[in-house]
Amino acid sequence: MALLEIKDLTVHFATEDGLVKAVDGVSYTVDRGQTLGIVGESGSGKSVSSMTVMGLTRAPNAHISGEILFDGQDLLQASDDELRKVRGDDVAMIFQDPLSSLHPFYKVGKQIAEAVRTHRDTSKAQAWDRAVEMLGLVGIPEPRRRADAYPHEFSGGMRQRAMIAMALANDPKLLIADEPTTALDVTVQAQILELIDRLQDEFDTAVVVITHDLGVVAETADDIAVMYAGRIVEKASADMIFHGPEHPYTWGLLRSIPRLDTPRDEELVPIAGRPPSLITLPGGCSFHPRCPYVRDAHRRTEPGLVPTDADPQHLVACLLDQGTRRRLWGQLEAGETPKEARALAMEDGEVELDTDVAEAGTEPGAAAARAMDTAQTAKEEEAG
Amino acid sequence: MTRLTRARLAPALLIAVAGLAAGCGSSSSEKSSSKGGTNPGGAEIGKGKQGGDVTYLAAADVDFLDPGQTYYTFGFMVRDATNRSLYGFKPGEEGPSPDLAASDPQISPDKKTITIKMKPGVKFSAPVNRAATSKDVKYAIERAFTANVPNGYASSYFAEIQGAPAKPISIKKLKPFSGLQTPDDQTLIIKLTKPVAPRVAAALVLPISVPVPESYAKKFDAQTPSTYDQHVVFTGPYQVKHDASGKVTGRRPGKLIEIERNPNWDKSTDYRPAFLDSIRIEEGNDDQTVATRRTISGQSLMCCDSGQPPIPILKRALTRYKDQLGRVASGGTRWIAMNMTIKPFDNLNVRKAIVAGFNRSALRLTRGGAAVGPIAQGYIPPGIPGYDESGGTKGFGDTLDFMKNPEGDAALAKKYMLAAKKQGVPVSSDGKYAGKGGILTIATNADPGLSTAQVGQQEFSKLGFKLNFRKVPQDTLYTKFCGIPKAKVAVCPNVGWFKDFVDPESMLEPTFDGKAIKPAGNVNWSQLDDPKINAAMAKAALIEQGDARNKAWAEINKQIVAQAPGIPYSWDDSFQLESKDVNGIMNGNFTTWDLSFSSLK
Amino acid sequence: MAIFIIRRLLWSVVLLVFVTFLTFLIFVVLPSADPALLRAGRNPTPEIIASIRKTLGLDQPWYVQYFKYLRNLVLHFDFGYSYQNFLSVKETIFPRMPATISLALGGAVVWLLIGIPVGILSAVKRGTFIERFAMGAALVGISAPVYWLGLVSIYLFSTDIGKFPIFDATGNYANPWDDFGRWLSSLILPWIVLAVSFAAIYARFMRSNLIEVLDEDYIRTARAKGLVERRVILRHGVRSAITPIVTIFGLDLGILLGGAILTETVFNIPGIGRTAFDAIQKSDLPVVQGTVLIGATAIVLFNLIVDVLYGFIDPRVRY
Repeated sequence: MALLEIKDLTVHFATEDGLVKAVDGVSYTVDRGQTLGIVGESGSGKSVSSMTVMGLTRAPNAHISGEILFDGQDLLQASDDELRKVRGDDVAMIFQDPLSSLHPFYKVGKQIAEAVRTHRDTSKAQAWDRAVEMLGLVGIPEPRRRADAYPHEFSGGMRQRAMIAMALANDPKLLIADEPTTALDVTVQAQILELIDRLQDEFDTAVVVITHDLGVVAETADDIAVMYAGRIVEKASADMIFHGPEHPYTWGLLRSIPRLDTPRDEELVPIAGRPPSLITLPGGCSFHPRCPYVRDAHRRTEPGLVPTDADPQHLVACLLDQGTRRRLWGQLEAGETPKEARALAMEDGEVELDTDVAEAGTEPGAAAARAMDTAQTAKEEEAG
Repeated sequence: MTRLTRARLAPALLIAVAGLAAGCGSSSSEKSSSKGGTNPGGAEIGKGKQGGDVTYLAAADVDFLDPGQTYYTFGFMVRDATNRSLYGFKPGEEGPSPDLAASDPQISPDKKTITIKMKPGVKFSAPVNRAATSKDVKYAIERAFTANVPNGYASSYFAEIQGAPAKPISIKKLKPFSGLQTPDDQTLIIKLTKPVAPRVAAALVLPISVPVPESYAKKFDAQTPSTYDQHVVFTGPYQVKHDASGKVTGRRPGKLIEIERNPNWDKSTDYRPAFLDSIRIEEGNDDQTVATRRTISGQSLMCCDSGQPPIPILKRALTRYKDQLGRVASGGTRWIAMNMTIKPFDNLNVRKAIVAGFNRSALRLTRGGAAVGPIAQGYIPPGIPGYDESGGTKGFGDTLDFMKNPEGDAALAKKYMLAAKKQGVPVSSDGKYAGKGGILTIATNADPGLSTAQVGQQEFSKLGFKLNFRKVPQDTLYTKFCGIPKAKVAVCPNVGWFKDFVDPESMLEPTFDGKAIKPAGNVNWSQLDDPKINAAMAKAALIEQGDARNKAWAEINKQIVAQAPGIPYSWDDSFQLESKDVNGIMNGNFTTWDLSFSSLK
Repeated sequence: MAIFIIRRLLWSVVLLVFVTFLTFLIFVVLPSADPALLRAGRNPTPEIIASIRKTLGLDQPWYVQYFKYLRNLVLHFDFGYSYQNFLSVKETIFPRMPATISLALGGAVVWLLIGIPVGILSAVKRGTFIERFAMGAALVGISAPVYWLGLVSIYLFSTDIGKFPIFDATGNYANPWDDFGRWLSSLILPWIVLAVSFAAIYARFMRSNLIEVLDEDYIRTARAKGLVERRVILRHGVRSAITPIVTIFGLDLGILLGGAILTETVFNIPGIGRTAFDAIQKSDLPVVQGTVLIGATAIVLFNLIVDVLYGFIDPRVRY
């Protein structure tokens, strides 16, 4: 049995501007000891889905449905108190910005000890010792002395290590790492990722890494789910995502990874346009306004998340013909720009493009952008 | 001669600074009367229940306990209950009665010598514990001429005593006055350099004649200023609590004054019944609304040091709490002063036009209206001799047309304005002032005075006068503006003068004698300086008390009113409140409760 | 830390001297009443005025007067003598301090006890009837003038004129060591009246602070740790949200210790504020100076206390 099984999870927030469909029918599983990477831009629902696992999105205006089976227990049905007991014990979480995620007024050791004492019936001294032990384990030198320091006296990397120490202090079965390296220097990023990887082996913890940067999960993840506008658009083994991605959005993400082998001053290729408003999702394939390969039919038909012919574990939600997809990816991998790739595909008659729509679609109207921002803010508030 | 001196020499009551808010005025009966006004609930003077304690709600502290320095109404009230002067006033009586003195003062025919006999056996409180003598009174007067004991009136009323220094001197340089002789302990002879004995004798009602024991007070008086104020000894039926050394412990400024019976007081030597056992003066009741409400609905309370309750409460009290309202004539006039040295008020026709057009009745409304007293018609108020001779409530309306209609007479005002136009004053053809520039006006910044000033401003504007209006606190108004001729204030809408003596001279001389104009502390606000009036005053001052004197001053009053130096508008009374169980007696001289005569029911 | 405090104390002395100078200057420049004329009575001779001027030292140029004042203050801790009644300013003001301190501290306890919990509750129960009611009440509390509230409370509850005579409202103040019961009874209404607007302000401030803090990442961390909500709010949220309140509390207390003029006036509490008020009206500069000095000292001192305290409350601040 999978450690975590999420079935058809939807998380909607009722706001003044309308219903924000933050997560809209997401399913995935994580096994013991496995690492799942969830990748997407901000607003794709990747954080909301995992925070819902922790029960951190519960609010009067949140409508949550589906199933979240953790160790066989449906966390959606659990009471607040039951969920609280799971939180920080069986499921732990680390966050993007370690400075703002640690309480500025309490000593680091105390904050870790508090996590211990919340779930374990230990003395203050024992909890403190555990905190020191954990700090040592995450590689903080002189842990006994550093435990007595405040977060602002730590460097960025040390803070994230402390966060990890706090998260792992109760030996959780599942660790959710929400953008664990985004706020850190590139060199420190690697150290932290390596640390998570090492500890995962040591503790046999399942890990869900949430990131907007495919590079972060390149080395560590077993499986990768790509989310867009509240849905999973592609899900496969990490290997497959990097070598045989089938969704145009995934292609865009892959092309925006900074590579060590490309010169620093070379411009990264971002995905044109902005994520759509979660209140008024585009009809049909929700990626269509930004998709360079869009066909008229894509604006009406919603794609389903279906396995590819080659690999039943490789799920893609795209209306393009599988052959076209492969050819396009081939062009892109060969170094063509999306425009060139598209041109080639057009020659084949595979893609009939309405250039105007494609161009226009990359610039969502100001009103939509505003609605998007509002929804985003509202959602974050509820989540917090 | 004693008959003459005795009659009208009522006390110099110095109410606040230049008639500051202190409510005053005459009895509402609109009759000439200096009698004590109305005591609430028909209380009978001299009768009452023995014993009991009363709390007196006051806003501020007394100025001084030192009789050589006390100067204001509230201080006078406490002084009268705790310290006896040579002569005093029983409530409800017109003239003074001997208090420490055994009899009326004897004045020599040349009016240069006064002889006073004192009662024996009036003892000082602890720690002095001996009988007061004439030497103590002599020292009391002498010390009031020193810089250590700044006294506001010694040099005004007693300067003619032989040997008195012209200027305040240090107490170290003080030499016994040759004009104060004490042949024995009970006799004081006052020798004067000028024939002004009647006035000096009259002024002996002032606290300056309260005996001060030199040997005890010397060490305190040596300080600059004297600290005798905190070590006063008492001769009255009451004393402020003090310790064995004489240090006053019962006065905490701004908090309270604890007044108790003086064990050394001998009832047989005094006219005061002294019914109450103790009076606790609770200070800091700045909020008059609360203080008056507390008094009306409370027990054993008396109120207030501030002269008059707020107008709305007063109006209600006049109908609903009549039995708890004391009322007394205080002999004061309120008016709006026009500075005759400033254009266009240097023109008589302009002044007449303004007075003629002014709705003085509206002005009086700001002080409480008809219920609190008549509209002023001149500068001798009811209760002061010369009032009847000045036409009473009718005033000079019959002969001075511009004083006839207190509601204002627009047609007459126009006539005078056009007359002024002929004399070169800038006036439009419809009788409106057409001069340029605002007219500097200094008004008080709080009600009721502010309302008065605002109504005044409106009335002025009817004739086209634009007042350049500036609001300042009352004290600032007097000491920095209206009382300083150099400040060149054209209109002072909030002035008033209250009796110093029950004598017309003290009403008119300081306020309208050209010779009385001073560079600072000036109270001749209009700066009226008419040689004829000045001469008439000098002449009338020497006339002995009686009908001739009253007539002479009434005539001067008329001459002043004819010059239209101001717009007189109110002769309002003074009001005080008490609780239901209090039998309060008003004393017309200090225009508030007489603690030695009031009692509990 | 010690150096910081010493340096600040020295600066405070400089500041206080400056404050006395400023007070003096204001009196010289602004048209206040002439104290000598006030003292001399209504129809004084020039000689008396001159003599009083000399006695009060007013005949000298203002800077000489100021220098003498300052010299006496610094060398002898002598605050001078009232122009009005020649009483020692020190003896006038110092005995009034217990009343002002009692009023300020008691009021502070009341407003903290009301304002902080109401603020927390409103932040936590955001969007509910409780929040709307509490914030509505706070708005009323802020808008209600102390003066009006004082009178209403007196008319309702004071033993002399109240409809429900419960408290000895006006003019009954006694020092606690003389009569503890009366001290308490006479101060309950003033405490409440003084506290109302402060409680309202603090409730609103606490609410907005806490709402902001509850959005912080470390609150999410605390929840992710599995802490019970109560602990999340109180130990993690309130702990941060209350920090800025310490600052304004220190300042408010400092200001109030200089005298709560309106409350002292309505309830006739013999405190510093009313002394200052009366003295200003009478142009009694030495007394005004004394009260200004006391008030400024309280503000300066509490500023320092707040700064030092802040170092303990917020570990990020160190001197």
